[in-house]
Amino acid sequence: FYTAHILLINCLVLGFLILFSFLFSGDVVEFHGPEGTGKTEMLYHLIARCVLPKSGGGLEVEVMFIDTDYHFDMLRLVTILEHRLSQSTEEMIKQCLGRLFLVNCNSSTQLLLTLYSLENKFFAHPSLCIVILDSISAFYWIDRSNGGESFNIQEMNLKRCAEFLEKLVREHHLALFATTQMIMQKSSNSTESSIPLKLLCEADVEYRPYLCKSWQQMVTHRIFFSKQCNFSSSKTFSIVSCHTKKNHIIKCSFSVAECGVQF
Amino acid sequence: MVILRAGLCPGLTAEMIQLLKANGIVTVVDLVSSDLEEVARKCSLSYKALVAVRRVLLAQFSAFPVNGADLYEELKSSTAILSTGSRSLDRLLDSGLYTGEVTELTGAPGSGKTQVCLSIAVSTSHDLKQNVLYVDSTGGFTASRLLQLAQTRTGDEEEQVSALQRIQVARVFDVYKMLDVLQELRCSVSQQVLSSLGPVKVLVVDSVSAVICPLLGGRQAEGLALMMQLARELKTLARELSMAVVVTNHVTRDGSSGHLKPALGRSWSFVPSTRVLLESREGTWGKASTCRIASLTKSSRQPTGIEVELDIGSCGVLEESPAASGEGC
Repeated sequence: FYTAHILLINCLVLGFLILFSFLFSGDVVEFHGPEGTGKTEMLYHLIARCVLPKSGGGLEVEVMFIDTDYHFDMLRLVTILEHRLSQSTEEMIKQCLGRLFLVNCNSSTQLLLTLYSLENKFFAHPSLCIVILDSISAFYWIDRSNGGESFNIQEMNLKRCAEFLEKLVREHHLALFATTQMIMQKSSNSTESSIPLKLLCEADVEYRPYLCKSWQQMVTHRIFFSKQCNFSSSKTFSIVSCHTKKNHIIKCSFSVAECGVQF
Repeated sequence: MVILRAGLCPGLTAEMIQLLKANGIVTVVDLVSSDLEEVARKCSLSYKALVAVRRVLLAQFSAFPVNGADLYEELKSSTAILSTGSRSLDRLLDSGLYTGEVTELTGAPGSGKTQVCLSIAVSTSHDLKQNVLYVDSTGGFTASRLLQLAQTRTGDEEEQVSALQRIQVARVFDVYKMLDVLQELRCSVSQQVLSSLGPVKVLVVDSVSAVICPLLGGRQAEGLALMMQLARELKTLARELSMAVVVTNHVTRDGSSGHLKPALGRSWSFVPSTRVLLESREGTWGKASTCRIASLTKSSRQPTGIEVELDIGSCGVLEESPAASGEGC
């Protein structure tokens, strides 16, 4: 059965600490939501948390960021790091950024081949334990069109990527964070979802899965992002985190300021 | 899907290709993802040779990771912020158009998108002395209007001419031609074909929805795939060639809430980094006025909802420049 906790303050920080203790068992976290709901900002928050030195409240681990749609804004990340560090010198920023690796992929085939060639990097850098993939759904329409009539061929590349990612996560004890864009209308067919419909209604979330089954099955935490409509002028976003195996739900809100995500 | 062929990489001979093909390994992906010991056994090929080929193929076809610090150094020197010629619009965009990003202008017909695009083109070519590629898919581009705008910046005919010379125009009416133009731009830069003027800094596409809307609808994915391919081209040009890309899009009404939202659907909505909505405001006596409200609907740097007023008159949105001749706006 499920328990629904509503945590108002710092829940993702707490949640992240809980996640961190599970990092070595290979959690796969999916950020899902429509455009403009703060997924990328949350990723910057996560990267900042990882690359900052321990004195700045960070974890000093290395992060591999795989960017499939040229979304990553380095200058924005630097602004957030500058706000978090008490004395932000060029040297310190460069040191933090030195823990981040970025790679751009322009097709699902290139993504697959890049994952194969990244395997060596994981062997060489044992402190590289976080992989971020923004976003894994970027090639969805192009793959569908290239695959012709057969769903198998359409999904083949992504399926292989998902399987190889699972292997990497397992063998190198990584945590994988991937964003998926909500590009479909809500489905009236409830059997498509792997999460019980009752749970989704409780969480007030629109979810229509469209990526291949191999990916959907390897996700351990699915976090839904949405805009919160409130009457005050400040824009807030809400996230609902669903643990796919244990049917836990955690909800909380955040807003985005110049210095990044604030709970 | 790259098919294996002789000479694709050193060590890949025609005999190897034949043996691999006989065992179902046809593409690069097939070879890289298979168990090489098994392949060596089944095709009676040398395991070492296969490993070497795999390494070279991966190096050739996969993307290389870059260190964050190195990327930051590079971006610090290559990113530029280009003023649009209008102080209010610049304020909305956090000082101007950023290279490396796609900025979208949305609005109903007649809201002034083309006028803003023309103003940006003239401001870039005259004030900033940079080259512009203007891709027109609506037929709204006229050289005479461009000249009129240039004349508001300077009275010197030679300067007007050189400003116009820096603006290249491509008229396209379908998505394939548009993709051709964009790919040609990429090739000409990568092959370092030097035009006498230098690299293009601003790419204006007016409009994207005119070529994509006819493809959408129906249950096929081809239209959406072409749209995403176009999006990919635009973003690649912005990032890799350090250009500021400006695109225009229509608006539609949201079915449930009645609000205006940009056309082309959810998948396109993820593409631009910044989005500005242009709306007209009725004049005090109900007459059509030249006043427009520009509001920021998506931005990674500023809070959304900021609004500025733009006046689109004979100077477009350009502001009075000190070098202008006595003609008023």
